[in-house]
Amino acid sequence: MSERKPKDYGKTRGVRGAGEVPAEPEGASPEEGRGVSRREFLAAAGFTLAGAVVAGCARAPVEKAIPYLVQPEHIVPGRAYHYASTCGGCASSCGVVVKNRDGRPIKVEGNAEHPLSRGGLCAVGQATVLGLYDSHRLASPLAGGRETTWAAVDRAVGERLAAIRAEGGAVRFLSGTEASPTARAEIERFLAGFASGRHVEYDTLSSAAILDAHERTHGARLLPRYHLDRSEVIVGVDADFLGTWISPVEYTAGYRAGRTLEGRPPRLSYHVQFESRMSLTGSNADVRYAVRPGDLGVVMDGLARRLAARAGVVVPGEGGGAEPFPAETLDRLAERLWRARGRSLVLCGSQEIQTQLRCNFVNHLLGNYGATLEVARPSFQRRGSDRALEELQRELNRGEVAALFVRDVDPVYDLPDGETWARAMKEVALTVSFAASVDETASVSAYVCPDHHYLEAWRDAEPAAGVFGLTQPALSPLGGTRAMIESLAVWRGEAKAAYDLIREHWEARVYPLAVPERTFRTFWERAVHDGYVEVATEAVAGGEFDMSAVRPGYEAPAAAEGAFALVLYPKVAIVDGHHASNPWLQELPDPVTKAVWDNYACLSPRAAAAQGLAEGDVVRVEAPGGTTAEFPVLVQPGQHDGVVAVALGYGRRETRRFAGIGPRWLEGRPTVEEGGVVGTRAAPFLAWENGTRRYLREGVKVVKTGKRHDLAITQGHHSLSVPPELATPGAETRPIVQETTLPAFVGNPAAGGHPHHNPAPGSREDLWPDDHKYPGHHWGIVVDLNACTGCSACVVSCQAENNLPVVGKDEVRRSREMHWLRIDRYYAGPEAAPTVVHQPMFCQHCDYAPCETVCPVLATVHSREGLSEQVYNRCVGTRFCEANCPYKVRRFNWFHYRRDDERENLVLNPDVVVRSRGVMEKCTFCVQRIQEAKIEAKRQGRAPEEGDIRTACQQSCPAGAIVFGDLNDPRSRVSRLAADPRRYDVLAELNLRPSVGYLRLVRNTA
Amino acid sequence: MVSRVVTVVLAVGLFFSLLILAVGLADLRIPDDQQGYEPAQPIAFSHRLHAGELDIGCLFCHAGDEKSRYAGFPAASTCMYCHADVSATFGAVRAEAEAAEAEGRAVRRIVSTELETLYEALALDENMERDPAKTLTPIAWVKVHDLPDYTYFDHRAHASAGVTCAACHGPIETMERVRQEESLSMGWCVNCHRDGYQAEENGKSAYASVDCATCHF
Repeated sequence: MSERKPKDYGKTRGVRGAGEVPAEPEGASPEEGRGVSRREFLAAAGFTLAGAVVAGCARAPVEKAIPYLVQPEHIVPGRAYHYASTCGGCASSCGVVVKNRDGRPIKVEGNAEHPLSRGGLCAVGQATVLGLYDSHRLASPLAGGRETTWAAVDRAVGERLAAIRAEGGAVRFLSGTEASPTARAEIERFLAGFASGRHVEYDTLSSAAILDAHERTHGARLLPRYHLDRSEVIVGVDADFLGTWISPVEYTAGYRAGRTLEGRPPRLSYHVQFESRMSLTGSNADVRYAVRPGDLGVVMDGLARRLAARAGVVVPGEGGGAEPFPAETLDRLAERLWRARGRSLVLCGSQEIQTQLRCNFVNHLLGNYGATLEVARPSFQRRGSDRALEELQRELNRGEVAALFVRDVDPVYDLPDGETWARAMKEVALTVSFAASVDETASVSAYVCPDHHYLEAWRDAEPAAGVFGLTQPALSPLGGTRAMIESLAVWRGEAKAAYDLIREHWEARVYPLAVPERTFRTFWERAVHDGYVEVATEAVAGGEFDMSAVRPGYEAPAAAEGAFALVLYPKVAIVDGHHASNPWLQELPDPVTKAVWDNYACLSPRAAAAQGLAEGDVVRVEAPGGTTAEFPVLVQPGQHDGVVAVALGYGRRETRRFAGIGPRWLEGRPTVEEGGVVGTRAAPFLAWENGTRRYLREGVKVVKTGKRHDLAITQGHHSLSVPPELATPGAETRPIVQETTLPAFVGNPAAGGHPHHNPAPGSREDLWPDDHKYPGHHWGIVVDLNACTGCSACVVSCQAENNLPVVGKDEVRRSREMHWLRIDRYYAGPEAAPTVVHQPMFCQHCDYAPCETVCPVLATVHSREGLSEQVYNRCVGTRFCEANCPYKVRRFNWFHYRRDDERENLVLNPDVVVRSRGVMEKCTFCVQRIQEAKIEAKRQGRAPEEGDIRTACQQSCPAGAIVFGDLNDPRSRVSRLAADPRRYDVLAELNLRPSVGYLRLVRNTA
Repeated sequence: MVSRVVTVVLAVGLFFSLLILAVGLADLRIPDDQQGYEPAQPIAFSHRLHAGELDIGCLFCHAGDEKSRYAGFPAASTCMYCHADVSATFGAVRAEAEAAEAEGRAVRRIVSTELETLYEALALDENMERDPAKTLTPIAWVKVHDLPDYTYFDHRAHASAGVTCAACHGPIETMERVRQEESLSMGWCVNCHRDGYQAEENGKSAYASVDCATCHF
C-alpha cells in the first residue's frame, strides 16, 4: 500500500503527541513583529504608568448590595443550597444534585445515591448549566418566525386543531426517546383527541436494531439493562459504551465496579473490543481489534457459531464471510466467554438486525439474560424506532399529515434527507416545534413553543423499569417559556400546571408500585428530596428466547476495491449535536484525537500516507449517490486502514454565534468565519437500510482537494520532549505512564515500577532543606489510571467550578487553552494497533515546587497545608513559573477573555475570582471547597471529615478515579491509596515530591 | 519692573500649584484604601438609634453572620417587624395626636420621609396593604465595608473564632451613618491572623492561617 515505514510509538509512554503535527511556537506575543521603537515604547509606558497612578489612587468603585424585599424562608444569602434532580441532557436521565447560590444554579453534579449513575456525571451533563444561561434561548413563542404571546399561539393552534379534529386529519407527535412517563401519558391523551394520532420516537443516535432484535427474540421491543459490574468478560462490538453509547455514565460506573484491584485475587474484568475506528471504549480495552466495519457482523457470527458448538446448539446455515483474523483469536475468546457463562456480556452497537440477533443469541447461549443483562426489567433510555420514523417520512411526503409536533429532536438537521423534511413540513397545515431556540427544524415550523430548560422545570423520567427520576426547578424560568406538557394540556382544553400533571401521574401510576409507603404525600416528598425513587415493577418480557428468530447465514457486505468505508460516529462532547451551541463542549478536547472546535475525517496513518495526505489537508468525501462534503484530515492511529471516520453533530446553524468568540487582536483569527458554523454537517451521509438508519457507508472515495484547514489539537501542546538526536541515550522519553499486566501484578503488586520512581525509603538524597512542614492537613490526590477512562467529564466540571474562560479555536491552536485539568493520551506499540492510556494531568502541588522558586514577586508560594498557591493579585505575568513547571499545568491569561454576555455570566461561581489579563493561573485543588468545608466544620465545632471536601473533578468522575483527601490522616482513603504498591509519582526522578500520586495501570492481558 | 511682575506671578503660581499638590497628597491613599468612607444611603438608617439607643442586636438584621460568608443586609420584610406599626418618631406622632385633639378631628397617620421610601419599596398603600398599582423596587444599599473581588472574606469563620463585630466594623452603635472605621487593608488583616485575636468571651487567643489561599483564590 505504501512505502512509508509504519511508525512505532515504542514501549514507553513519555512523549505527549508523539508523531503529531508540532504545535506553533508557544507564546508569540501580540506585539511581536510590529516594529515599535524603544522611544515609542517608553513614551507609551510613561503615559500608562501615569494613568495607572492616577486611576489607582482613586476610591474603589461604589458597590451596591440589594437584599430581598421579602426574605424567603430558609434562604441565607451566600450559602449554597443543593437540590436533587434528574439530568435533562439526554435520555439517560442520570441523577444530579444542583448547586444553587443566591437563587441561581451554578453547578450540576452527580447524585451519589442514584441507582444508575451512582455519583458520576458526563461532560454533557456538567455543561448543561451553561445551557441554562444561553442568551439565544427563546423568551417567547414564535409564530411564523416572529415573537408573539402564548395567548395568540394558543388561539391559533387551537383553531387549527379544531379544524383538523373536524376533518379527521392525522396528527403526528415526533420526539426523541421521551424519558418522562408523564409526558408520554400526556402526549397519548392529547393524541387520543384526534381520529388519527400517533407518537413517533426516534433517536438521533439510533439503537433501533437492538430493540427490533429483542422484539424478535424476546417478544418485546425493548433495550436490555446491562450490568457491567456483574460481568467478568466484556466483549464490545462497535459499541462505545464508555463514551457515547446509550448511557455512558451508568456503564462506566458498572465497568469500574467490575475492575477493581483491591481484593485478593483482584477482580479485573477482561474487556475485548472489536471496532473499526479508535473509540474511547476501544482505547480502554484490554485487547482491541481494528476490524473493517463490514466484518463486525462476521466477528459476531463467528462467536455465535463457536459458542453454539460448545452449547450443542445447531445454528442454521453456513458460516458467514471470511474472518478478518486467525481462527484462534475467536476460539480463545469464545473459550473465555464460555468459562464465564452468566458472568459475561457481549455488547453490540451495530444497526444490522442480523448482527443484533446474533448478539442476543450469544448472550442467550452464555446464560447472560437475567444475569448480566435484564429484559424483565429493561432500560427505557432508548425507545426510538427507525421503522416508525420511515413510515412518518412516507406519510409526510405523501402529504397525509395534518399536524406535526416536534420535540427534542431536529429531523431537518439529524436526518440525511433534511431538505426533503423541511420541504414536506412546509406543506403540513400545522407544524409546532418545542425547541428552546431556533434550530433547523424550528426555523421551518409555523409555531415555536419553547420548552423550559430542565433546571427551570418540573419533569420526571423513567430511565429503567422501576427507576423513576424527578426533576425539580432550581430557579424560575428566565424567559417566557412554557412546559411542553402544559402547552398540550392547554390545547387539549384542560389548562393545568406541569407540577400538578406530574403529581397526578405519580399518584396514579408510580405510588401504587411503592410498597410500604404510608401516604402519597410522604412518598412524593421523599421523591422530590432524593430526586429519584426505586420501585418494584412487573416483568416486561418473559425472557423466553425464540431460537427461530436467528436466521441462517450472515453475508458480510463486500468491500469495494480502493474505496473506503465511511463510519459516522458521535464525539464524546458533542455526541448528537444537541448541545453543539455550548462553548464548553466545543472546547473540550476529544478524549482520543484531542481536537477541539471541529469535525474531521479520521484516516489511519497508513491510509493517509497512501493517499499522500497529511493532517490538516482538506479532502472531499464522496459517497455513492452523489453525497459529498469536505473535511480536514486527522491521522488516527489504531483505525482500520479501510475506514474514514467523520463525527456527527457539527455544522449546526446554532453554532454561527461562535463567530465572535475568543479575544480579538491583530493576529487573531475567528473561530468561525462570518456566517459560518463549527464543523461540517455529516448527516447527509447517513443511510437507510432494512428499516434502520445506518452510520456506515461502503464504497466511499476520499479525494484530496489541495486546500488546508488548521486543526486545533491539544495533545502536543507544551511538550517537553527532547529530539532523539539530541538526547542522551536511554533518556529520549521518560516513562510518564507506568503500566503492567494482571499476571505480573498478582505476582508482585509493585510490578511495572521503575527504580527512579519508587526509590527505597531512606535512599533519597535531597539538596533541599526539609523546610515544608505540614502540621495540620496535607492535601493530596491519588489518580487511579486503572479506573480513568478518559471521558473528560472532570475537565468540564473543573471549567464550571473554577470560572475558566472559553478562548476559541485560534487561541487553542496557539497552545493557549485555559483548562486547568487536561487528560493526556499516550500511545504505545505499533501505530496500526497502539495501546492507549489516558492520564489526567493537573497541578501536582509539589513540595519542592519549581514554579515557586522562580517567581520574582512571590505570587506563587507554598501553604502550610501542602498547596502550591497562586496569588492572582500579586502576579505580574513574567511566566517564569510556567517555563519552569515540568508538568506544564500552568495557564496564562493572554487576554481579558470576553465576558460580554451578562446572562451567561450568571453561571460564574461567586466563590472563585475571575482572573484578568496578564495573570497566571492553575489548579488550586478547589481551594474554595477546602475553605468552605473547613469553615463549616469549624462552625459546627469539629474537624473536617473524610468526604466533606470533594474536588470538582473528583465529584464528577463516573469511575471514581480521582480521590482527594488529607495525606496526614492515616485513615483517609487518599493516604491508603498513596501507600498502595501501585502508586508512583510522575517525573519522580526530579524529586519534586508532588502531592498527586498515580496508581499504575494494570491491563488484563498476558 | 517687568521682571518683578513676572517673579510675583510665578511665585503666586507656584504657591497655588504647591497648595493643590499638598491637598492632593493629603488625600492620596493606596489603591482600595477606603478608610473613613461614609456614603449616603438610600434610606438614612441610623445605626446609632437602632443598635445604640434601642440596643437591637447586630444579628437581628445581619442574620447571616454565623451561617454564611455574608452577614447580609436585612430584607425589607425584616424592617416591617417593627415598622409595620412604627411609622414616625414618637414626637411626631404625639404632636399629631395633640393637634388632632385640639382641632377636634381624627388622627392622621404620620409617616416619616425615610420610612416612606421603605413603604414605597414594598409597594404599600396608606393602609399598609400591597398596592397592585405600584411596583416592588428593592432597596439598593451602598456597601461601606467592601473588599476587593480577589479577597474572600467569610463572616462565619470570624464569628466562630469569637471575633466581635466591632473588631472590624468599629463602634457602629454610635454612628448615625455607617463609616468604615478600620483600613481593612491586607496588613491590618494579617496582623490579627498572625498575632492572634484576643477573644473577649472566653479569653482565649484565636490564631488564623496566614497562607495566601486563606483569602485569595
